[in-house]
Amino acid sequence: MRILLVEDERKVAEMVARGLKAERYAVDVAADGDAGWAMVNTYRYDLIILDLLLPGTGGLELLKRIRRHDPAVPVLILTAMDATASKVENFEAGADDYLTKPFAFAELQVRVKALLRRGPISRNSTVRVEDLEIDRLSQQVRRGGARIELTPKEYALLEYLATQPGRVFSRTMIVEHVWDQSFEGLTNIVDVYVRHLRAKVDDPFPAKLIQTVRGVGYSLAAGVEP
Amino acid sequence: MRTGSIRFRLTAWYAGLLTAVVLALAAILFLHLKNYLEGTLAETQLRRARQISDTLIARVGATGDAYVGNEIASLYAPEKSDRFIRVTRPDGQVIYRSGPPNNQAFDPTAVPSASPETPWESRRKQPMAGGAALLIAAVRAPAGGGGTYLIEVGTSAAPVEAMFRHLLFVLALGLPLVVALATAGGYALVRHALRPVDEIAGKAEQITQHNLGERLPVPRTGDELERLSSALNHMIIRLDAAFQNSKRFVADASHELRTPLTILCGELEDLAQERKLPADHRERLGSLLEEVQRLAKIVERLFALSRLDAGEAQSEWIPFDLARLASVTAEQMALLAEDRRIGLTCEAASPVPVEGDRSRLKQVVVNLLDNAIKYTPDGGAVRLTVKPVGARASLEVTDTGVGLSAGDLAHVFERFFRADKTRSRHPDGAGLGLAIVKSICNAHGGEIQAESTLGKGSCFRVLLPLVDDQPHSSMPQSDSAP
Repeated sequence: MRILLVEDERKVAEMVARGLKAERYAVDVAADGDAGWAMVNTYRYDLIILDLLLPGTGGLELLKRIRRHDPAVPVLILTAMDATASKVENFEAGADDYLTKPFAFAELQVRVKALLRRGPISRNSTVRVEDLEIDRLSQQVRRGGARIELTPKEYALLEYLATQPGRVFSRTMIVEHVWDQSFEGLTNIVDVYVRHLRAKVDDPFPAKLIQTVRGVGYSLAAGVEP
Repeated sequence: MRTGSIRFRLTAWYAGLLTAVVLALAAILFLHLKNYLEGTLAETQLRRARQISDTLIARVGATGDAYVGNEIASLYAPEKSDRFIRVTRPDGQVIYRSGPPNNQAFDPTAVPSASPETPWESRRKQPMAGGAALLIAAVRAPAGGGGTYLIEVGTSAAPVEAMFRHLLFVLALGLPLVVALATAGGYALVRHALRPVDEIAGKAEQITQHNLGERLPVPRTGDELERLSSALNHMIIRLDAAFQNSKRFVADASHELRTPLTILCGELEDLAQERKLPADHRERLGSLLEEVQRLAKIVERLFALSRLDAGEAQSEWIPFDLARLASVTAEQMALLAEDRRIGLTCEAASPVPVEGDRSRLKQVVVNLLDNAIKYTPDGGAVRLTVKPVGARASLEVTDTGVGLSAGDLAHVFERFFRADKTRSRHPDGAGLGLAIVKSICNAHGGEIQAESTLGKGSCFRVLLPLVDDQPHSSMPQSDSAP
């Protein structure tokens, strides 16, 4: 899978490229719109990550050209959300998804995976993590064979963490997914729900599955942490 | 009418001065006229007396006293002309006295005799019991025998006095009328002249930091008011520029901070998950990351505020039911309250139809509830009430929390404001939550009010314009909890 990253901020570009390479993607970096356009015309990309504020040919203009050249390639917009470029405009110009700076790298990874439609995003009706079993159809959760009763929100939180076991989800991502954007900034609600979820899913068992990564977020994985 | 207003004071001064001037004028007129008329009347009597002295008394030695009396009666007929004539001999004997006048204005016999020291010519005003005074002129006439006859001719002052009474009556009636008319006219004139001031003041009161683009009306009169209003307008233009500058600064700054924050956040996240690092290092990196996220949150909120200031909240304007939004949000946040054993109750009878950006208004409910829960001690109570009040929808969040002092309450919607130490115990926000709530309310044509008693609790009330009731089916119902 080959990804083109058009980003003029060298450090952001390096960071994103390094992270994506660690996920075994091939990443090309273009530092401005013209370089980006040249690369789009030279190679075939599976995904283009595009910063909107670029020197020379602007991001929005490049996006329109890309769309004329190849209507199918997925494009993920990185935006500092300045007043002129609203969400709606971006989608109208042909973006498939967008991310607002500053973003958590984990979130970028999730979106990249979703756009490439690959990776361990589980599409099965049943997700298994160690001895935990989540049935997405009946919305039932079992651990060690024993049924665990969860409230709808607790279930939604657990199911979201289970979409990519081992991946760390930030509180902001969880809030936006399980609640909605109005709860933005109200990340303490995540901590409360995680505590309740732990009481039901982890406390009765010796092996803990819900992990806290300080400063980053939560993940669902076999316990490695102390 | 406010007694302190220029309008009132000008009119009062004007009316006072006018009354004084008119009264003085009337008094001078009255006294002069009275002196003049009485003088003229007395002069006429004096001429008569001289006539009698020259024609009759000069020859009294030859004609005798009786002849004088008859001559006076036939020549002057004093009774018919309502006159009083009396002639007294040097020895004090009255040789002639006219009879009662036809108009019965006085009784001739009741007129006291003149004093013996009367000079050659004199006049006096003789008050009479039960009637008008008599104006009497007296002349001493030398007679042949060496003595002097005293001739007194008088007439009643009644016609003059009646005239003055009439004049007084007219003045007493006319003066207040003139003053009242002049005052009313003056008041209207002053009001007319000052009306532009009212308009300027009314407009100036409406101008806040949110509509600094508006200007005061400038009366094209070339006078002081035109100068005043254009000077005020120039001040508003300078204020507007200052506000725009500070807003642009906040918007630019929060924008520029995004890229470095992205780098910080990404690199730190990467490191914090690096399993080769010792656990305590990862812990410290996590702590750093938390601070970076807090910074990012502040930048995010500042940016949201500058967008709201710029009036960009109206992108997704739809009608919806505020009561339903409130009850769904309360349900979603119930656990947050439950966790602290706080009773969260919601009284919201649907529908309470309002119009606006639904997610922004949900943010209002979320922020208010979050605040209420945060500042209420364990075991307290938070109540959310939504109901129509008049033409407005009222959303009220009441808590039994720590409350705010009156001094803090006045600043609670200001950016970066933090009440006492109790609030800074929560490092979560940056003192921007309520500022955002207020901005959202303003952007929706509503307002927010706050009441609080220190130690007892607070009440925040959002008032939004109600819209015409929509059929239930047209209301978006997407907000059910998953």
